Amino acid sequence: MSTEAQTSGDAVYWDPYRPDLGKDPYPTYKRMRAEAPLYYNPDYDFYAVTRFNDVEACLSDHQNFISGRSDILEFIREDMEVPPGMFIWEDPPLHTAYRTVVMRVFTPKRMNDLEGMIRDYCARCLDAVVGRDKIDFIADLGGQLPGGVIGMLLGIPDEDRDAVRDRVEAALRTEEGKPMEMDQAAIMGENFEAYIDWRMDNPSDDLMTELLNTEFKDPEGVVRKLTKEEVLIFVNLLAGAGNETTSKLIGWMGKLLGEHPDQRRAVAADLSLVNNTIEEILRFEPPGPSVARYVANDVVVQGQTVPAGSVMLNIIAAANRDEGRFVDGERFDIHRQGPPHMTFGRGIHTCLGMALARVEGRVALEEILKRFPDWTVDTDNAQLSSSSSTRGWDTMPVFVG
Amino acid sequence: MAKITYISRAGEETVLDVANGSTVMRGAVDNAVKGIIGDCGGACSCATCHVYVDPAWLDRVGEVGPIEEILLEEVCDPQDNSRLGCQITITDELDGLVVRLPEKQV
Repeated sequence: MSTEAQTSGDAVYWDPYRPDLGKDPYPTYKRMRAEAPLYYNPDYDFYAVTRFNDVEACLSDHQNFISGRSDILEFIREDMEVPPGMFIWEDPPLHTAYRTVVMRVFTPKRMNDLEGMIRDYCARCLDAVVGRDKIDFIADLGGQLPGGVIGMLLGIPDEDRDAVRDRVEAALRTEEGKPMEMDQAAIMGENFEAYIDWRMDNPSDDLMTELLNTEFKDPEGVVRKLTKEEVLIFVNLLAGAGNETTSKLIGWMGKLLGEHPDQRRAVAADLSLVNNTIEEILRFEPPGPSVARYVANDVVVQGQTVPAGSVMLNIIAAANRDEGRFVDGERFDIHRQGPPHMTFGRGIHTCLGMALARVEGRVALEEILKRFPDWTVDTDNAQLSSSSSTRGWDTMPVFVG
Repeated sequence: MAKITYISRAGEETVLDVANGSTVMRGAVDNAVKGIIGDCGGACSCATCHVYVDPAWLDRVGEVGPIEEILLEEVCDPQDNSRLGCQITITDELDGLVVRLPEKQV
């Protein structure tokens, strides 16, 4: 395999661990959609789909494409054992039972009710840097807000939030060019244990207390509360999911609107465009660019049989720019009135936190534009990180004014 | 096949022929009816296809399922005639169905 940029004479090659491809994967995705809509990588032994209809069909088919071996390429291949309660990596009926509990407490209405608190939090973060000629979308807002908000929801004390975030990020980070290694401790949420014990004795109106008290029918048909171990995993999952991805959304906001000043000015002048702008950022640069599934039965994709036991990578970031679905899909356009993107997934594992992500994105952008209507990306000092499951900025410094 | 009428908050009507086996959500999303998102693609997982079923049709659109019921408690402005569009499957019997769209989905 060549380390040079691919030329059109080569067969298309995609390696989710190659940093040179991860910097700008879109030309490769475009070729995959056109030349290899069912792609097979022999080095890591996985299949990939990149066209919108194929990704949508695969994610909607939870009987043939299962999550019970996780949704991360390298974990599926290692056949790792999924701890009970890690419901994003489970299948019906267990998944249905757990997801239903979380749905009861993690609802769109509850997310929207947080708007005032989210706005205050953004204001505090941003007012602290008003007057500077340079700010960082990650350090000054994206790295703080999502953890703060999930902390408000769960009732995690402020002083513990940074520790939680650092732990999750460390668990998801990969050494450049290498597959991820599993940190079981991070998944099991050991660092929340003492806090949950305390919350059991000190109930409040937060989501943690509701998780501890909600009754549900488990897969054996028994109506019961969650065990402490299950709550630990849920909480860590929600805290991790709420941090990493939303932080990356805010980083992409800085990057994309910094590079499209005309569109930034349009939304700054008319805040009714904010919702549409957030959707376009989500479409154009999804913080979770791909999710994997284990192929449980032989299935036909693009006229070819994908054998049971294979791993299928669903490249959402490629599907989101499929010209068959999105007119001029490679163009960033906040005025787009197109069909919805697939950034939050499809099917029974669709992101539970999407209402929260949208509120955070909308409020963050409004509060940024009120204070900093103009900025330019400091490209030399912006650092990208990418793994097989997330892609976004560790730092997004910009010159303001 | 059934003719389904979608009425927006502003009173704008869209009348569509939707195939049997499809859903109220799918009909709207495939024809770019604004006001229905359908993020999860019809898995009863996202509550972004909330509609108000015209009361005259309520007894013909089937029962609210257990997971749908949980989601409907938490949509914006739920009413007694609230349903998730993805959970209403189109049949000939629904020819003429009228649904109204909420102020917002998310």
